[in-house]
Amino acid sequence: MAVKYYWEDFTPGRVFETATRTLSEEDIVRFGREYDPQTYHTDAEVARSSPFGGLIASGWQTAAVGMRLMCDCYLLETSCVGSPGMDELRWTKPVRPGDTLRMRSTVIEAKPSGKQPNRGTVQFHWEIFNQNDELVLSIRGRQLFLRRAPA
Amino acid sequence: MSYKYYWEDFYPGQVRETGGYSLSEEEIIEFAKKYDPQPFHTDSEKAKQSYFGGLIASGWQTASLCMRMICDQYLLEAASMGSPGVDEVRWVKPVRPGDTLRLKSTVLETRASASRPDMGTVRSRSEVYNQHGELVMHMSGVGMFRRRSPGE
Repeated sequence: MAVKYYWEDFTPGRVFETATRTLSEEDIVRFGREYDPQTYHTDAEVARSSPFGGLIASGWQTAAVGMRLMCDCYLLETSCVGSPGMDELRWTKPVRPGDTLRMRSTVIEAKPSGKQPNRGTVQFHWEIFNQNDELVLSIRGRQLFLRRAPA
Repeated sequence: MSYKYYWEDFYPGQVRETGGYSLSEEEIIEFAKKYDPQPFHTDSEKAKQSYFGGLIASGWQTASLCMRMICDQYLLEAASMGSPGVDEVRWVKPVRPGDTLRLKSTVLETRASASRPDMGTVRSRSEVYNQHGELVMHMSGVGMFRRRSPGE
């Protein structure tokens, strides 16, 4: 895929709004069984008497869906070479079967790499909303991008 | 329902270790096609020409596998009420097909809830190592747990 966005294109304040993705009960249970088999992620019956009142998605699945939304929206057209990590990941509201999620990615800051002149990091605020515009997940994440013009 | 671990059973400095989780090339590609379809996670040939020199797992899959290890290590036997989130997630080294991962969990801090006498929080650090003893990922997170004996 052709590179449309290099490190220089991520200017503070730039916002990307993704399309949406809906999570079915089957999606939730399949992920839960593999990666987060707490009963409120895998068993709709037992989940009814949990603190959440019903089946909810693993917070890690919600984050992974956000990553997919980001890829489909713009990330696959960038010079991204991975991520060093993230901070302040907060699961703010449960995600239930049938919820439709979308993500807003806002550039906070872009820094050239101290060690490698051909790349730089970008810090983002990633926010995932449900169909009622309620915030379900917030993250401060960083990604590495190759520069269009090395320093 | 009765659990093995309640909030009172966690203490600062407590360490748990679990091992033996592997990701195959098929599992790496399947996860990435669904959640993180960057070419170095989905295409072995393209990945060879990338910065990483070969197929690597999505950091989100490593984090999800870490969650699985936490579940198997103690969480499924604990009176867990979920988690508000995690901090300091760092993907330190790539995870490659066939790598064997293990988890070391260390309790950092426990706190009774000020507002709810039936629960408390536990902050833990998770460190994931590969078969060479290299740290591949770490994070610190908060878990909420029901108390065996509610506070005043």
